[in-house]
Amino acid sequence: MVDFTLTDKQREVRALIHGFAATVLRPNALAFDRAHCVPDDFLMRLSMMARAFPSGGGDAELPSEYGGQGDSGAKPAAPKKGSQAQRFTLIGAEEMAWGDASILLCMPGPGLGGPPVRFMGTPEQRARFFGVFQTPGLHFGAYGLTEPGAGSDVSGIRTSCRKDGATWVLNGRKCYITNGARADWVVIFATVDPALGRAGQRAFVVERGTPGFSVGKIEEKMGLRASETAELVLEDCRVPEANLLGGEALYAGKEGFMGAMKTFDMTRPLVGVMAVGIARAAFEYTRDFVRENYLLARPLPRYAQLAAMVAEMGRLVDASRLLCWRAAWMADEGMPNAKEASMAKAYAARAAMRVCADAVQVLGAHGLEKHQLVEKWYRDIKVYDIFEGTAQIQRIVIAKRILREVPTW
Amino acid sequence: MISFELTEEQSLVRETVRKFAADELRPVARTTERGGACPRELRGRAAELGLGLLDVPEAQGGAGLGLLGAALVHEELAFGDAGLAIAILGPHAAPAALVELGTPEQAARLLDRLAAPQARGAIAWSESGPGLPLGGFRTTARRDGDDWILDGEKAFVVNGGVAECVVVFAQDAGTTGWSGAGAFVLDGRGEGATAGARCEWLGLEVVHAAPVRLAGVRVPGRDRLAGAGGFVVGAQRMFARIAIANAARQVGLARAAYESALAYTQDRVAFGKVVAHFQAVSFTLAELAMEVDAARWMVWRAAASFDAGAEGALLHAAQAAVQANDAAWRVADHGVQLLGGAGFVQDHLAEKRMRDTKTLALLGPSDQDHLVAASCALGLTEDAGAGLPISALQPVVT
Ligand SMILES: Cc1cc2nc3c(=O)[nH]c(=O)nc-3n(C[C@H](O)[C@H](O)[C@H](O)COP(=O)(O)OP(=O)(O)OC[C@H]3O[C@@H](n4cnc5c(N)ncnc54)[C@H](O)[C@@H]3O)c2cc1C
Repeated sequence: MVDFTLTDKQREVRALIHGFAATVLRPNALAFDRAHCVPDDFLMRLSMMARAFPSGGGDAELPSEYGGQGDSGAKPAAPKKGSQAQRFTLIGAEEMAWGDASILLCMPGPGLGGPPVRFMGTPEQRARFFGVFQTPGLHFGAYGLTEPGAGSDVSGIRTSCRKDGATWVLNGRKCYITNGARADWVVIFATVDPALGRAGQRAFVVERGTPGFSVGKIEEKMGLRASETAELVLEDCRVPEANLLGGEALYAGKEGFMGAMKTFDMTRPLVGVMAVGIARAAFEYTRDFVRENYLLARPLPRYAQLAAMVAEMGRLVDASRLLCWRAAWMADEGMPNAKEASMAKAYAARAAMRVCADAVQVLGAHGLEKHQLVEKWYRDIKVYDIFEGTAQIQRIVIAKRILREVPTW
Repeated sequence: MISFELTEEQSLVRETVRKFAADELRPVARTTERGGACPRELRGRAAELGLGLLDVPEAQGGAGLGLLGAALVHEELAFGDAGLAIAILGPHAAPAALVELGTPEQAARLLDRLAAPQARGAIAWSESGPGLPLGGFRTTARRDGDDWILDGEKAFVVNGGVAECVVVFAQDAGTTGWSGAGAFVLDGRGEGATAGARCEWLGLEVVHAAPVRLAGVRVPGRDRLAGAGGFVVGAQRMFARIAIANAARQVGLARAAYESALAYTQDRVAFGKVVAHFQAVSFTLAELAMEVDAARWMVWRAAASFDAGAEGALLHAAQAAVQANDAAWRVADHGVQLLGGAGFVQDHLAEKRMRDTKTLALLGPSDQDHLVAASCALGLTEDAGAGLPISALQPVVT
């Protein structure tokens, strides 16, 4: 039956995370943005608090990359039909992003490195790489696909891997890697031969401290400034063969590349819902601002203008959330959802852009001020249209699934 | 006869400023943004080039370019950098207030203060805190013999605290609404006027702005500007001038964003193809080119109408402003988008333009103010202030 209501359990988790976002994340957002980082002791406290979130039990648990205690790697690669994991994840992530998107990306855990390890890793690898998150201290995973010469075009990566006895030797550069410098391990995509295209690609888990593996530049960005974006350098970096995700067998067919892509079916709605969280924050803030000035401004034609803009903002937030939920529901039901995942991400990012720009506009000069969150949301939101596949790439994914004949572009 | 042809003088001005912007502004856009200040020498260079009182008639000590000529200059400067485009022009919006609200005698006398090469001007319009629903100001002007005494606090004032010629908007004590409002030119910095902490903003960070508190500031009676046709009309015309200049800046910013996206996507390769050759990208580039041009022609038409004293000038100004704000936002956004991740990091100027364009959109009347002004001009609605910005609801930067 069609139903857009949350279960009691989901409501409870949402309320809990919302309270957490409002009292712990939101009040620190501006200071961390200015400092260009989230302090370690804050993250320590944060992960301690996150551990206290109810897991929801059974299928309904929040995976560890999004602040729940999640699976330890022992779980099967694909969620079984009827699970609510994706929907739970989305509900939590929206609240967290509403609190602060940068802090959310800094949450200790495997991050975007989680899904490839879960989908492509062997049970041994899952246990080993997720295991580190059960040990005390701050631990991070990262996802290293993008290179200076290849972003959207994943098949264009040039980082090379060469087998040498029981090790692989990696050479190349990765850029814009979230949490790349602080990560305990990074899933690095490399190629045995660029001419082989996707079939030549391999995914490795490269651990911090591996000789030949170093951190380059840390980027300065328009937004999400508290989130670390790093360049990674691999120079004759030797990685044990046990760190080749899924083992050699996985790469016999197209499965290796598909693994990398399948990750996106999971992460795109998630990234979309983060955009929803930011947009909702901007919408609510603006709505309250206009409401507070309502009595004063009531007789003016201008009020009608602003009220209409705010109403539009609310509409866009809701439409975006529903697209994300639909993609998540499909994933939970075990249905292929690549098109819907792209639609959710593309629509939510675009709508959120509009909402955040209008929030600045409605607030007028107040919206420009750096001590107001609206200014920050405007800077933070843009990248949602870029990472995890740009707006254009999402449209290509969608087009390929709706057109009878797929054009060469 | 319909023509888009510039006069020889206009073309020359445009070429000169284009070169100046490319050679001297663009290269320091990022460093001056980070430093938060426009170097004195750069303002000196602008003065050397005669970039001061652009649209003020020569008889009054200005460059006599008219609004159209000024629009060409603003576009080129902002093509270099939108922040510097504002910061290097010391008089800022003050001449617009003096010309539109002052008598010819007042304008001539007060413009003189802005003629010095490093002189800076300001207009203090917005107020923070709850304002007044029907317009007007909370800052009061009280008569004291021949003088006026100002009390209150103005917000979001460009050049606040550093300008030598400050036009403060205030309410004659005991009156309400726009009809009791006036403009008062402070004597120098104004004794009793103090600037608050510098505004820290999303974009245009090189521009200095601050709130200004007025505690018993004395203004000689002859420096109260009332507007020949009344306050509302004078203020409307002042804002139309400001809006046209600003719209021209948006066009310059948009052109810069478009050109850099055009260059980048023709160098960048993905999927074995030059990125610009993908349909999704080339169609987008085509749209951006159209947006930039459409906005420029709207700006030119508004400027030409204004210069000619044509009927409809105010409507055209409002339309140009909305068109340019919208176009620039979209082009700046795509300017980031088409660079992918590189657009979001600060090695390129793309992300800066996205912050600057939104800030420019709130410099002077907002789009909502313009839309009200336009609907008034079209006879669709009535508004006592005919689209003057209202602080209570949506303060603007002046
Ligand atoms: C803050 C931040 C965090 C990031 N985190 C990570 C991370 O953790 N791990 C990681 O691996 N990467 C990460 N990235 C990189 C991100 O995924 C890439 O920036 C993104 O995929 C775009 O690639 P690109 O920057 O190379 O742009 P390009 O691929 O060079 O794209 C340039 C333009 O061309 C367009 N384009 C490209 N191909 C086509 C086509 N076929 N048709 C139409 N248009 C096309 C694009 O849409 C874009 O507009 C991050 C980026 C940022 C900014």
